[in-house]
Amino acid sequence: MIRVWATLAALLVAAILLGLAAGHDWAGPAEIVRALSGDPSLDSRLIADWRLPRVLAAAGVGALLGLGGCLFQGLFRNPLAEPYLLGSAGGAAIGATVALLVPLGVPQHWLLPVLAFLGAWGATLLVLGVSRVAGAVDAAGLLLAGVAIAAVLGALRSFLMLALSDETVSLQVVLSWTLGGIQTPGWSGLALLAALTLACFLLAQRTARGLDLLGLGEAMAHGFGLDVKRFVALAVLVGAAVVAVAVSFGGLVAFVGLAAPHIARWLVGPRHGPLIPASGLVGAIVVVLADAIARSALPPAEVPLGLITAVAGGPFFLILLARRLRS
Amino acid sequence: MSRIEATGLTLQRGSKTVLDGVDFAAGPTGAIAVIGPNGAGKSSLAKILAGLIADHAGAASIAGRPLASLTGPERTALIGYVPQSFHPHWDITPRMLVQMGAERGAKADAAAIAAVLTAREIDPIADRRWSALSGGEQARALLASVEVTDPPILIADEPGASLDIRHRIDLVRGFAERGRERLVIVVLHDIELATTWFERVVVMDQGRIAADLPSAELAGSDVLPRVFRVPFETIVVDGVAIARPASGRHT
Repeated sequence: MIRVWATLAALLVAAILLGLAAGHDWAGPAEIVRALSGDPSLDSRLIADWRLPRVLAAAGVGALLGLGGCLFQGLFRNPLAEPYLLGSAGGAAIGATVALLVPLGVPQHWLLPVLAFLGAWGATLLVLGVSRVAGAVDAAGLLLAGVAIAAVLGALRSFLMLALSDETVSLQVVLSWTLGGIQTPGWSGLALLAALTLACFLLAQRTARGLDLLGLGEAMAHGFGLDVKRFVALAVLVGAAVVAVAVSFGGLVAFVGLAAPHIARWLVGPRHGPLIPASGLVGAIVVVLADAIARSALPPAEVPLGLITAVAGGPFFLILLARRLRS
Repeated sequence: MSRIEATGLTLQRGSKTVLDGVDFAAGPTGAIAVIGPNGAGKSSLAKILAGLIADHAGAASIAGRPLASLTGPERTALIGYVPQSFHPHWDITPRMLVQMGAERGAKADAAAIAAVLTAREIDPIADRRWSALSGGEQARALLASVEVTDPPILIADEPGASLDIRHRIDLVRGFAERGRERLVIVVLHDIELATTWFERVVVMDQGRIAADLPSAELAGSDVLPRVFRVPFETIVVDGVAIARPASGRHT
């Protein structure tokens, strides 16, 4: 087990170093060392003050996506559940769109996460309610409900974007953000993201035992002393918070929340105590790598991060779906 | 002391009356079998006594406290419940399941986990994935996960259904022994095993208790043929009267 954690930590460090090197001008190891040791030249400052926060932000967003995926899969007891596929990220995106486009007189950096949270929470409750009413907690039924809700929310968001944007707010800003992409934060923004990521991780970790018990089925969970209704309500709140922070900082990034818990489950097994942190680590590694590709694939332009993860994650999802439907 | 008492238990499910004014009391020790034809309300009674159904009419209490007033941890410290069917959503191992069972109580530690794994002969399969276990192995792992905290009251819903004959006899013998110090309530389909090993048998029929007798009195009474609608015969083995369906093949 210690070997698994050490390997994951080493891979994350390696991914971050690779992320520092990647860009439309690739930096060599020597340049990175020089930049990190405080060299005042322009090239070094670009790496240390521009790329480093961006790479660390990617790690934070990736960790949040991994945590969110793990929470959703545990909550829905379904290895194909994912915030993006189930419409929760779409709900957060509607909240964020309103925050970006409607002048409500509240500072945007406060409004955006709050509205994103409300959107993610509402959408998650909606999917949960629909799947309960329809009795569809099986993989296919839940996904269909989620896909329908995600489609409605996507259309609603497009309408809001068309209806609300004017000369003062560029549609381009919102659009590029919905395609998924990490804005390069300042150090204070990065500190905020780090604090929120840590808080989300601690909250998620507290759901570990409940998620374990929920995975035994509601009857058994109840028999083992879990207040199922209360726990699900609390876990949905935590899940919505994680999704909201992830969407606020990284836009709509697909499939990381699906893939990260799967990879983590191969490594540490199905119990949520180790699975939650492992999902966060795997998510961080995946997004740092995807973001490195996003920044270096088509220089000098930047490919939206969400496109990279969708192209890589879509086939992964299809393979999992095929395997599940066959068994 | 963990005495369990219920009066006037009535449960509606849709238009069907699943339980209809059931009175039941037991404990603090004893081994009790609950038998009855399909749909008689055995499982519902077991779930209510385990505190898992709240929307029933009538009163249920444990050690003088209403079941509904217990918190989750209080309830699981007193009552171990083994459900009739159990399908985990993740491919866990028996060891993980028993660990999860152990985490619900303060008493269970690594030694208790090791002991129950050995007692239920799960050691060799403790780290196998659930999907790779046979039905009987799964049933034993499930039972072990509930037994690991050694609860004062054990309520099991057909725990022996998928066990082979040796494990099934081990199981009921274990329950009978457990009943000397603690309370065991077991829903069973096997009437022979019920009358052989349990001191008291509750016969349910159409949501009511048709008979609640010491097993020695049950064998030979007219309750079993009336409720199950097949003829029964009584055999006496080592002084124990055992009821079993008369096959009629040699008459």
